[in-house]
Amino acid sequence: MIPDCKNIRKSILAISRESGHGHIPTCFSVVDILYALYSTIRHNPKNPSWNQRDIFILSKGHAALAHYVVLAQFGYFDIGPVHSFGSFMSDFGCHADRLKVPGIEASTGSLGHGIGLAVGIALAFKIKKNSRKVYALIGDGESNEGSVWEAIMVATNLKLNDLTVIYDNNMSHSRGLQIHNPTERFKAFGCEVSQVNGHNIETLKTEIAKQQDKVKVIVADTKKGYGCQTLVDNQYQWHRKSPTDSEFDVLIKELNEASI
Amino acid sequence: MRRQFKNTVTALAAYDDRIVMLLGDVSVYLFKDFKEKYPDRFYNIGICENTLISVGAGLSSQGFYPVVHTIAPFITERSFEQIKLDMCYNQFGGNIVSCGASFDYAWDGATHHAYTDLALLRLLPDMEVMQPGSVKEVDILIRSQYNNGYPSYFRLSDNPHNIDIPVTFGKAVVLKNTNSPVTVMTAGPILGNVFEACRQLDVNLVYFHTIKPIDREIIEAFGHTTIVVIHDAFGLYEAVCEVPGLTVFPYGFQGQFYCSYGTVNDARKCLGLDSLAINKTIQKYIAEHHNSRVTNVL
Repeated sequence: MIPDCKNIRKSILAISRESGHGHIPTCFSVVDILYALYSTIRHNPKNPSWNQRDIFILSKGHAALAHYVVLAQFGYFDIGPVHSFGSFMSDFGCHADRLKVPGIEASTGSLGHGIGLAVGIALAFKIKKNSRKVYALIGDGESNEGSVWEAIMVATNLKLNDLTVIYDNNMSHSRGLQIHNPTERFKAFGCEVSQVNGHNIETLKTEIAKQQDKVKVIVADTKKGYGCQTLVDNQYQWHRKSPTDSEFDVLIKELNEASI
Repeated sequence: MRRQFKNTVTALAAYDDRIVMLLGDVSVYLFKDFKEKYPDRFYNIGICENTLISVGAGLSSQGFYPVVHTIAPFITERSFEQIKLDMCYNQFGGNIVSCGASFDYAWDGATHHAYTDLALLRLLPDMEVMQPGSVKEVDILIRSQYNNGYPSYFRLSDNPHNIDIPVTFGKAVVLKNTNSPVTVMTAGPILGNVFEACRQLDVNLVYFHTIKPIDREIIEAFGHTTIVVIHDAFGLYEAVCEVPGLTVFPYGFQGQFYCSYGTVNDARKCLGLDSLAINKTIQKYIAEHHNSRVTNVL
């Protein structure tokens, strides 16, 4: 784990402890993906509406806290106000509002919506003959939603080859409707698919930047709670949980001891 | 109406390259001219109504004016959350144009009937809800609203009325004002039957092609009368009831599944929405009003 991503996770823990709101394990599974994305795509934190930026949509909107902290890390805004996470006057809700937070392209939360929006945006760029790229991060649990597969079918049918879908394969679906072998499934839907370690920044960056001839899907193998063994071992218990002070100390200790 | 819809949108697309057609595998042949003229702005997305709306919202986010079109119950009921969140909450407006209003597809059975769409969509913030009743209304309302950035619902029917009415978005029209103590309010194609039913009666008649925003001013102007809302769907009655202090009664489709087949006229007759049944109903309200006045005087 690179130091930046370790610090992002510490911020997530601190904000979760202060706010009483969580989704820490799912945030930890996508931190490295988000970091690799913003290290690779065309964007300008000082001008979030830059008209040549690539578009990223967090379709699994419950990882909003990770998104906020990563956007702050890349200079979209100061981290300070994010500490009001989920409170009445805060701009930083547990699911993001695009009209309140710079860098958020779509307000998501209900699963299976963001990917459809991303398909529409990719179609818009295709009509405009614009080379801007579109990225959507979806969850494996989210992919129980039929609308995910509708959107994939439409994207491949329309040959939206500037669309990249990153599938957070953190096994959160394992107690419910399981999606076995997602790589083969996405291939069967006509996508160009690679399966990578979703916590390896350099591998992710390489895959994100790689030229594509079809709709691209990156199956990112991740762990819910990655960085804190307590979270990894108890992902369901911690799904929405906020740490107490003593739990926070344990989690920070585990993070500090995680290998770099 | 669908032909007028096609003609209007095709004409608009000639000078507005931000219009993009998104079809749910419906009316594809009808739009073949559009497809030939503007192939990069015509997409038969497929039979996937949720994604149809989401794709429209995505296009809208990049400055296009999507025109999403398929059958009414599928695009409004199945895709309600996509309309609510992707279009309304995200403020990625667009045009949703449905066909198969109310019992237009009577022969197809209850799976294809549409009577909740107006009532559901009027609940959504910023949503514009229109039920044009004639080809003229289709043309004027689409031209007026397609590019205003709001999510707009146009509910088309294959059974338009043929009454020529001035059309301004959001404005109801008084078709008859006899200073009667009873006012009939109606919307959309059923006006044909309602108009005929009212022809010989001492009753006021108000027509709406816009359900949201509802024309409160005109409702208030008749607020001292007994109002009877005659409609073949939910939505207008609820919209009229936004105005407080009214004496208002609904008449028409009452919410049981209509499980017969046949034609739209069969359905209307069965539901008491043929002109004869409507006439009798209005007469009843007129008589009740008269009787209550007599009772009060006595």
